[in-house]
Amino acid sequence: MTDRQKHIRNFSIIAHIDHGKSTLADRIIEATHGVERREMEEQLLDDMDLERERGITIKARAVRLEHKAEDGERYVFNLIDTPGHVDFNYEVSRSLCACEGALLVVDATQGIEAQTLANAYLAVDADLELVPVVNKIDLPSAEVDRVRAEIEDVIGIPAEECPAVSAKTGQNIPDVLRAIVDDIPAPEGDEDAPLSCLIFDSYYNSYLGVVVYVRVMNGTLRAGERIRMMSSGVEFDVVEVGYMRPLGLDKADCLSAGDVGYITASIKNVSDTKIGDTVTHADRPAAEPLPGFKEALPMVFAGIYPADGARYNDLRDALEKLRLNDAALSFAPETSVALGFGFRCGFLGLLHMEVIEERLEREFNLDLITTAPSVIYEVDVRGSGRVRVDNPSNYPPPEVIERAYEPIVKASIITPTDYIGGIMELCTDRRGTFHDMKYIDTSRVELHYTLPLNEIIYDFFDALKSRSRGYASLDYEPDGYVESKLCKLDFLLNGDIVDALTFIVHEEKAYARARRIAERLKDNIPRQLFEIPIQASVGSRIIARETVKALRKDVLAKCYGGDITRKKKLLEKQKEGKKKMRKLGTVEVSPEAFMAVLRLDDDN
Amino acid sequence: MAQSRRQNKRLGIYVHIPFCRKKCAYCDFYSYCPHDARVYEAYADAVIAHMKSYRDVGVDYAPDTVYIGGGTPTSMPPEEMLRILHGIRSSFRVVKNAEITMECNPATADMQTLRRYRRAGVNRLSIGMQSSNENELRALGRIHSFGDVKRTVRDAREARIDNINLDLMYGIPFQTFDSWRDTLRRAVALRPEHISLYCLKLEAGTPMCENASRYVFPDDEMQFAMYSHAISYLASCGYEQYEISNFARRGFECRHNLKYWQCEEYLGFGPSAHSYFADVRFSFKPSVSEYIKNVVGGARGALTDEYEQIPARERLGEYVMLRMRLNAGIDRAEFFRTFGKDFDRLFGQKLARYVKGGFVKDTGGAYRFTTSGMFVSNYILSDILDFDADGHFLL
Repeated sequence: MTDRQKHIRNFSIIAHIDHGKSTLADRIIEATHGVERREMEEQLLDDMDLERERGITIKARAVRLEHKAEDGERYVFNLIDTPGHVDFNYEVSRSLCACEGALLVVDATQGIEAQTLANAYLAVDADLELVPVVNKIDLPSAEVDRVRAEIEDVIGIPAEECPAVSAKTGQNIPDVLRAIVDDIPAPEGDEDAPLSCLIFDSYYNSYLGVVVYVRVMNGTLRAGERIRMMSSGVEFDVVEVGYMRPLGLDKADCLSAGDVGYITASIKNVSDTKIGDTVTHADRPAAEPLPGFKEALPMVFAGIYPADGARYNDLRDALEKLRLNDAALSFAPETSVALGFGFRCGFLGLLHMEVIEERLEREFNLDLITTAPSVIYEVDVRGSGRVRVDNPSNYPPPEVIERAYEPIVKASIITPTDYIGGIMELCTDRRGTFHDMKYIDTSRVELHYTLPLNEIIYDFFDALKSRSRGYASLDYEPDGYVESKLCKLDFLLNGDIVDALTFIVHEEKAYARARRIAERLKDNIPRQLFEIPIQASVGSRIIARETVKALRKDVLAKCYGGDITRKKKLLEKQKEGKKKMRKLGTVEVSPEAFMAVLRLDDDN
Repeated sequence: MAQSRRQNKRLGIYVHIPFCRKKCAYCDFYSYCPHDARVYEAYADAVIAHMKSYRDVGVDYAPDTVYIGGGTPTSMPPEEMLRILHGIRSSFRVVKNAEITMECNPATADMQTLRRYRRAGVNRLSIGMQSSNENELRALGRIHSFGDVKRTVRDAREARIDNINLDLMYGIPFQTFDSWRDTLRRAVALRPEHISLYCLKLEAGTPMCENASRYVFPDDEMQFAMYSHAISYLASCGYEQYEISNFARRGFECRHNLKYWQCEEYLGFGPSAHSYFADVRFSFKPSVSEYIKNVVGGARGALTDEYEQIPARERLGEYVMLRMRLNAGIDRAEFFRTFGKDFDRLFGQKLARYVKGGFVKDTGGAYRFTTSGMFVSNYILSDILDFDADGHFLL
């Protein structure tokens, strides 16, 4: 190990959502004088608006800090922030692989939660040294000793002496800095070996092209050298290398084994810089890529349409821009009879989908109509073998289906014991298979279930929260496919199938879903001059029906003393509303009404 | 000599009386209950002065209808009201057989007063009866009883006012089909010449709207049942529907209100009053104190609230919107005479589905709404008419 390496500490902060990860990051940056206080934006690492509002970190960010320790030595801290949501588990695992240690932040009032545990396991899998930090000790309900004991019992790492801090007030932050220096190992790696750098993040910058965040595992990289992405073999010439400072990029001569830094190489597309991929030299490549690389595969699909059909091109441009920074987002044009031209988009999960929707609406000022999220089903079709279906309306007719398969996940739910009954009921209702239940302490358990993914994306998280008063937490990972009795549920308005409202559901769920959506349709479709029959069908069987009564009254039966302007304005406003209407067959429905039908709340 | 060259164009005069004894729970017209009785005199002065200032503008006009509306005109002290009535005649050449209407709430005018108004020219009284059911009247926040309505009608007849309208209302909280039938029956029994049916509409900002959750309103189906029943019942009693909300014995159609729907000219005086004059629609700001101040101070420009030029294209859109309210509908030949355009070419295709659906009737000479069409007329009109970005009609 070189002297340079001895003074480097590469670490992440992992935590359950809201346990104070970003605030702790801010305090560490502040304490190392990485940023002057006046320049300090709250929660500096989360630099997307949306992240700051939702209090979640969507994409990993990294920052290089310099710390003068109590022994007088100067250390380089590379703090790598990680996303805290299960949709981004793979990205978390890659960020962790760039580190030697992780601060495991646990809320002194809440204790260990599902994501604490899931992230802790990821960190252990990546051979990281875990440094527990008990946070929020300023709160009156803080139970530092209980939480320390819980960390020891559940995760099995010593926590008796671990820092107990308040990231909010700054109390005991020097303890954290000391623990980083003392407890987290320095990086190893041979500066002279063939180059291998792990990509743990990248983003598109309109001046520099893609900026690739890497951890150098072996070798040394300089500007001007030719590099190769080992998963694809694509090569680039390095324009610049350097470090990520709190307030921007800082050019350097080289990056060597143990360093965390960035590379720019006039790369046009983030899909060329896949997270987890290995960067090596073109002329002297590493023998093997770094282990653990996976393509980020979308698991959840939905149709996204512009509410105003004329903005199709704007939507395409916006999606293209977002994809520059988000290799996990996929989209392909699709046409719906009901909604016109739009895109079938693939997401890592529901949160990822919500984030993309919100960014499209907020940053690109688009009004969207989004169909209900779906998963990829696999179907053995008589004669043509296995097909994958990411759009429910393309689901094959029952006559030709030999077998159907749906994706399942392994789910872990941590809940206070008070809510076990309700949650088990929920999981059973969602076709879950119970595996086991482990007591974390006397008041909390961890439940393990196998659940169909399509049940999870249909409002599971909200239902879980409402049955546990917000206390239960969920984590899951894909677990392949199982054979399943699935059916295609169509909705007909006025006798016409509305393709955008087609669902794939399990047989047992068809009736309940049919009734619920039919009711929603009845409540949300504005009355029109004729009666509108609503039917739900599975194949040729009608399994639910409702009727939107005909509009009887829409009149100004008052004459406002010659105020014609008022009447004119009223008609104009009405016309304005009509323009936004989408024709679902022969029925006019506003985008709001359509979205209200698909809204996944008030379930259960 | 100059006088002989004057034209005698027709004109409606509207005078708004923005005062009430008590504001009704559903009302969003501009009116209030004054604390200081001196405001009546000042207001009458202002209206009279304001009308006077139109003397030259209106020189080629001979008003054939006058309408005193409100608010509650009969809540004005009779002396002040009489001054206004005389003021109209001193500023405009009101024709001899003009229709002069005054709105009135039951129990706000005695026979003596009505007699004086009759002598001052008022020959039509519009009485805000609303309902014959005491609970419904209370829900509306009305201060009168059905007994007051009967007395007022008797007093008006006594005062030789031989053209009486009763305003009725449906869609009232707690109203039932039976109570509505009862209201209609009792109204007809009073033998008015004219009946108006208004559908209660919740207007934002009114106490009824704010407390809407406390009331049970008849639903749309019920309101339509009430409306259709009224049309057939009134027809059987000799009251013909001539507009969405208006019914009359033959020859007693309200000439003033017809002007609104036939796109004829009218001048309105008083705060919040609307005018359509010389191809301009305009209104005055809804404030009594500002009205008085600006009229007296001669700052007439400051009175204006809305102001809109109505070019030919806009007139055509308004014509369709307003004429279709009338039972007679739009006469193809008259439309062509007025605009030099073929109505069918402009709207025939759009109307076809409504004709097919039984909402519009094509009588050969004219297009008109059927009963069910009238009750969804906004839906149909907003479909067939187009607007540009500034809210003007687009053809």
